[in-house]
Amino acid sequence: MSWFLPGLLLCVIAQAVLLGPVSLMEIRPDLFLVLVILVSRRCSPERATFLGFVIGLCQGALSGAPLGLHAFTNSLMGFVIATLSHHLYTDKPFALLWFLLAGSAAASGMRLALLTFFMGPRPLVPALLWVIIPEVLYTAAVGLLILSSSQIRAALTRTV
Amino acid sequence: MTLLLRLLARYRRAIILTSALLLSFLLMTLQVRHETAVVTFTRQALLFAFSPFIKVTAASIHGVASVWQDYVDLRTLREENKRLQLEVSTLKRRLDQLQEQALETQRLQRLLAMRDSSQAEFLTARVVGKDATNWFKTILLDCGSMEGVRRDQPVLAPNGLVGRVVEVTPTSARVQLFTDAVSAVGGLIQRTRVTGIVSGNLGAGTRIRYLPLMGDVVVGDEVVTSGMGGVFPKGIPIGRIATVERKSGALFQEATLTPAVDLSRLEEVLILKSLEVREGFEARTERPQ
Repeated sequence: MSWFLPGLLLCVIAQAVLLGPVSLMEIRPDLFLVLVILVSRRCSPERATFLGFVIGLCQGALSGAPLGLHAFTNSLMGFVIATLSHHLYTDKPFALLWFLLAGSAAASGMRLALLTFFMGPRPLVPALLWVIIPEVLYTAAVGLLILSSSQIRAALTRTV
Repeated sequence: MTLLLRLLARYRRAIILTSALLLSFLLMTLQVRHETAVVTFTRQALLFAFSPFIKVTAASIHGVASVWQDYVDLRTLREENKRLQLEVSTLKRRLDQLQEQALETQRLQRLLAMRDSSQAEFLTARVVGKDATNWFKTILLDCGSMEGVRRDQPVLAPNGLVGRVVEVTPTSARVQLFTDAVSAVGGLIQRTRVTGIVSGNLGAGTRIRYLPLMGDVVVGDEVVTSGMGGVFPKGIPIGRIATVERKSGALFQEATLTPAVDLSRLEEVLILKSLEVREGFEARTERPQ
């Protein structure tokens, strides 16, 4: 896990600065969640929970959200994904895509619920149409590229 | 003692998960209810640690992008045109730099003109980052409390309102845009002096709510800050009315508005520093005779 801190720093820079030009309808992929998934598939649930908490704190500090919001969702996602990864086979791209879609949708849903609980009701339809669905799709697509990069590289090597 | 340790070891997974969730919940509660020193310190420490990297990256991107573009261009050149193309590329780069400088000068001149006309004390800041989530609309500026930035100071662009400072570290500041879903700015229809509350609606545009049902509001009306609430001075342009909605049975009417400032393309902004001179803006909004 020596790559965790550089990975986290890269996520911070990418999410705050680099992803601006590739945003679609002002929506950017949630790279922090992709990092949580990446980390959680390779370590124990306890460690994944702690690292998810740390990632969430950093994400919270870089946004206008309450500080614990992303720490809550990311630590829970880390725990669930690390637990499931030991029982599910998620190496196939199609399975991984569904895994990412479900994970991203669950995280967005939890955030909406927590925001509603702490900061008052949010308009559901605009939240779904303009934030949750685009974010889930974009995060899943980018996450699939990142998480299956080793398989893509291997396939390219075989082709060459 | 041994039993306790064995229990801890046996249930460590549940204990770690519960601790993380409870701590997160506690942080959220503290921040939403009281804004305690612990939350503020944690937040500012993390932001302070990351802001140098963000600033350096933002400053490097423009240079790297142009170098990369040149590299890609050069790779596609034919051998016999190499020398000529290199010369053209060099000239082009110089031209790009000059054009960029001219555009920057133009933007800064507009900021200066605005600063001079309002007689208020401003601080110019560069936008170096955006919100790390899609739920909030905030931006990160390259100056902080060391330059005199304080919480709740209004932030403007040449065309109008941008938002207010919500978080300050010694070297950076976070600005909540007025299009944020939890932002609320007192708005005034300039033509008829009808007041309402301007706020964001996630991705579904910016709205002005609580307009009196009989208030005269039509598409194209200009909306400016009303000065109510004490944060924003009166008379800063916010946007223009795009659509008006009058629902049957409703106590108020609502309208959507097009912001005066393109908030997705902000590069430099002005922070209104002195509270005493904010009243100077009021003179810019004249009541129609």
